Amino acid sequence: MFKRKTKEKSTRVIFYYLLYGLLNDVLGAFLQKMHSENFFILYAFFTVAEFTFFCVFYYYILPPGGIKKSIFFIWLLFFLFALTDFFLVNNMDAFDSFTVGVEATLIILMCIYYLVVQIKSTNNLLVYSTTNFWIAITFLIYMSGTFFLYIMAESMLNDKAFQIQYIVINAIFNILKNVLFSVAMLMKSSQVTPQMIQRNNHDDLLSFKLKK
Amino acid sequence: MFFLQATENTIGFPNVLIFGTIGMFVMAITLVSVVVFHQRRVIKFNKQLQKLEEDKQQMLLKASISFQEEERQRIAADLHDDAGPLLATARLYLNENLIHQEPAVQLQSIFSAKQIIDDSIQLIRNISHSLMPPTLKNFGLESAMKDMFDKINGSGVINASARFHDNRERLTEEQELLIFRILQELVTNIIKHSYAGFIHLTQNVQGNFSYFRIHHDGKGILQSEFQKLNYNSRGLGLKNIESRIKVLKGSISFDIDSTQTYYKVTIEVPRELVK
Repeated sequence: MFKRKTKEKSTRVIFYYLLYGLLNDVLGAFLQKMHSENFFILYAFFTVAEFTFFCVFYYYILPPGGIKKSIFFIWLLFFLFALTDFFLVNNMDAFDSFTVGVEATLIILMCIYYLVVQIKSTNNLLVYSTTNFWIAITFLIYMSGTFFLYIMAESMLNDKAFQIQYIVINAIFNILKNVLFSVAMLMKSSQVTPQMIQRNNHDDLLSFKLKK
Repeated sequence: MFFLQATENTIGFPNVLIFGTIGMFVMAITLVSVVVFHQRRVIKFNKQLQKLEEDKQQMLLKASISFQEEERQRIAADLHDDAGPLLATARLYLNENLIHQEPAVQLQSIFSAKQIIDDSIQLIRNISHSLMPPTLKNFGLESAMKDMFDKINGSGVINASARFHDNRERLTEEQELLIFRILQELVTNIIKHSYAGFIHLTQNVQGNFSYFRIHHDGKGILQSEFQKLNYNSRGLGLKNIESRIKVLKGSISFDIDSTQTYYKVTIEVPRELVK
């Protein structure tokens, strides 16, 4: 149904990201219940997958240019870094704080760059009336809010109080993320529709303009 | 409770976590707010600019329409007040009773009618010339300007001269007429308002642009005054100059030379040559 409703590729990517996130949470909860140590692998894989989804989304929303071309290389570097961190540094049995920290920093920087592009664009469309803007700020807020949490998770995860803090902060920002994504999905398409063109034509006909 | 426990067990870390999280969150929200408010301000400013541009366009259109109406009224008045009575008088001389008159009277009437018809022809020619100067059409802008300056020099009050440095290729008829009208209006304004002793027109070509510059030693105006007068003045002259410049896709600038002696008006026009 969602696929039929929206034709924008960027929004579809986020939809698949949310589906994957849901699946990951369910699987993670199941593994934890089974007292399996494999959920660290799950977390590490989710970090890479999350960054991949974001890169694909970012590729679709960014106007053509140098940064757009370099997205693949950024992703590749991050992927290699994540592999190194997980297999060589963490030895597959610890929370991937360092990778998450790098991921969050990259996503925050990329979101800031997107906002700068929006400021510079001459488009007279209000930025907060577009789906992509809401998705970008969701990533920005979520990554900023959970930045310290995930960075400290590796060393503090055994602390009982930290575990509670982790659950509370993570839950708050997850809820916020889902609310903001919902708002983004509810936004009307920012693309120019034939109806809009017709309406503009009427405006041109009725107003006393000289511009061609 | 748990937050307090954390504070006791691991000094500093929970504070870092809480304040860090809040700080990062506030930073993100501030960033988004700045972007939104900045964009709103830019859009508002753009809309204001757009409105100003539209107002200006409307003003120029109105000026152009008013000018056309004035021109039509003048032609109508010329035809009605001058040509009409002349032709009516000629008709009177050539009425039906002429055949019953003495041959001498007939000859006199025909001669008078001929005189009146000649006057009418001259009048219509003058009207036609005011619409499209024949010198401009046949010999180009340089000849038309020199012709105009000869007439001005004839008055003996102002010394007017023109020098065309590169006039090997003629511009299109439409461009020549528009440029001629602009220069004509500028010269008229100088004669009427500046009390100048001399007017000198220079023409040159650089790349794909033609440049025209009028120097005069009277009381001229600067670019800022031109803009001000253009917006505030009820007169149509300057507005017509600007609308013609817009049609030519050119530009006009008013300034004074470095010695503060001569005012100059420079027109830059992209060349459209006759094929």
